[in-house]
Amino acid sequence: MFELKKFRKKSPWILHFNAGGCNGCDIEILACLAPKYDIERFGMINTGNPKQSDILLITGPVTKRTRERLVEVYNQMPEPKVVVCCGSCASTGGIFRGMYNIEGGVDQFIPVDVYVAGCACRPEQIIDGVVVALGILEEKTKEIEKTIKLANKPVVEEDGQVNRRNMPAELTYETTV
Amino acid sequence: MNKIETTLEKVSSDIGSFYKYDQHHFIVMNANDLGDKIEVQWFFHDYADAKNITMFWLQCADTDRIPSINGSVASAWVAESEIADLLGLDIENAIAGFVLEHDSPIAPLRKKKK
Amino acid sequence: MKQQFEIPVGAQHISLLEPLHFKLTTENETIVDADANLYYVHRGIENACVTKFKYRQVPLVVGRVCGLCSVSHGTAAAQVIEKLTKVEIPLRAKYLRMLVIELDRIHSHLLCLAHVAENSGFEALFMQTMRDREYSMELLESVCGNRVQYDYSIVGGVNRDLRPDVAADIKTKLALLKPRVQALHEVFETNWSLSLKNKGVGAISKELAMKLNAVGPLARAAGVPIDVRNETEDLLPWKELGFEMILDTAGDVYARNMVRIKELYVAFRIIDNILNGLPEGDIANISKALPEGEAIVRVEAPRGELMHYARGNKTNVLERLKIKAPTFSNVGAMVEIFKGNQYASAPAIIASYDPCLSCTAR
Repeated sequence: MFELKKFRKKSPWILHFNAGGCNGCDIEILACLAPKYDIERFGMINTGNPKQSDILLITGPVTKRTRERLVEVYNQMPEPKVVVCCGSCASTGGIFRGMYNIEGGVDQFIPVDVYVAGCACRPEQIIDGVVVALGILEEKTKEIEKTIKLANKPVVEEDGQVNRRNMPAELTYETTV
Repeated sequence: MNKIETTLEKVSSDIGSFYKYDQHHFIVMNANDLGDKIEVQWFFHDYADAKNITMFWLQCADTDRIPSINGSVASAWVAESEIADLLGLDIENAIAGFVLEHDSPIAPLRKKKK
Repeated sequence: MKQQFEIPVGAQHISLLEPLHFKLTTENETIVDADANLYYVHRGIENACVTKFKYRQVPLVVGRVCGLCSVSHGTAAAQVIEKLTKVEIPLRAKYLRMLVIELDRIHSHLLCLAHVAENSGFEALFMQTMRDREYSMELLESVCGNRVQYDYSIVGGVNRDLRPDVAADIKTKLALLKPRVQALHEVFETNWSLSLKNKGVGAISKELAMKLNAVGPLARAAGVPIDVRNETEDLLPWKELGFEMILDTAGDVYARNMVRIKELYVAFRIIDNILNGLPEGDIANISKALPEGEAIVRVEAPRGELMHYARGNKTNVLERLKIKAPTFSNVGAMVEIFKGNQYASAPAIIASYDPCLSCTAR
């Protein structure tokens, strides 16, 4: 059987989503895949399927028509997943901030782990950001493998029934290796 | 640039008799908000002498129904739907919600907000 | 009647760079109807240019409409404001603008060719084309200072002069690029397995292209003689630099590839002529005049005819700015071409349009 947690770091698959940018960062991501910058030496492949990918690369500010698609693509990705924002408009809205059809940065809708600055961000910066994301992916993998245990004992009512009302709030994480 | 003035009633027949698909290229349809009135413009150029740009224009109130020229110019529906959405105009056969989402501002290019 | 299925392509798809949605209705494997949803990327730049930004900032904002042809957008906006303020720009600035537009055309056409090869299933050719494209990206970086967003044209001229060492660098790198483009030309022209995916696929007749008002390589591949570089000597003197219009007749994906590759040779020739005959003088003519009246300007972007319409009222802010992008004119043709083709060819056809939705939606 494969040791999945060992190989996930060696071959993270990336998913690219344009949330409404100007194509500038998109062609730099494409240049990353090409021979000069060659992101494939980290084992990364650009895949079109959200269900097979580990790293989500987002470019562009979120417009009013792409926001539902962005959340849907994020939700379809399996855990653990890392989100990388490429470019200043994906990080904050950039020059488009305040225009009438713009919602702002990506972090208003989904949690973001790595911000890559620049307009447009250079391929070296994208590679740098993705390598930082690899470390976060490893941490998240460890986090996800922890088992969850109930910390408190269940409250037993007078008639012998278990009170389940507060149980979700009492869940805590305990490490068992 | 030739500027030809036209009216709401005549615009379909004017452009229909002017436009020959193998002689003229339809560039774009544009509208400007002049405050109390709307100015609508249609741009064409000739294939043979492309410097020769013809502009049909008219002025109308913002509630008037503007006729579509899609009958004579087959690809005009894109420009018409976009202008209708962005300026809140009433253009014949325009597709509603072509550009804007349901919670976008209505007619964002108008000076006085609706 | 056969059973019909609706297959969506997009908004997120491996063969698309941008959010774009095609709804293809198919019968067995054949596409019988198509519908497009294009305005995912609508941001409201036209409104921001007339409310938030002063007219001197407009060329820089308009460059952010599209990252692929940002210099064409910036130049068109600068030219239309120069017409409104009645500023005459120096000849050297005109030549430098043309130099960057042609370098931009080389990188954009090579990107499109790479994308067609990838979507036809020829991954090795994609990698090869993208490797050769890096020469043009390096040249653009050395001329303008940035790889993608150049901000090169300003109102009244350009904002950087061409240093002699950069000019020599352009000559050496183009000498390296030319034989590689010839090698690519041979592959795109004669490769048998690529021709199965490209020849006769996605064809449009000259008559239909004229009826649907197509522009750019899409129209020129079908034989429609439309190229703005042919007629605007007053703003940018293309003809004296050896411009020649490339036409084809077939109108399919293969013909579009051939038109794009042959335009690369024209671009090389124009760049050589610019470097050999670059006039001396200032690079910008900054005046304090305010924009007044209305004007239109047309520029040939890599994808076709780009039009900017502006109107000023003697204040620091424009009254109206209308951008007509090349892909906007091609929407009607893009939807028509699908009909009658196999569903498996759809990604290659979409890539061969070279669609730029951020231009269209603004």
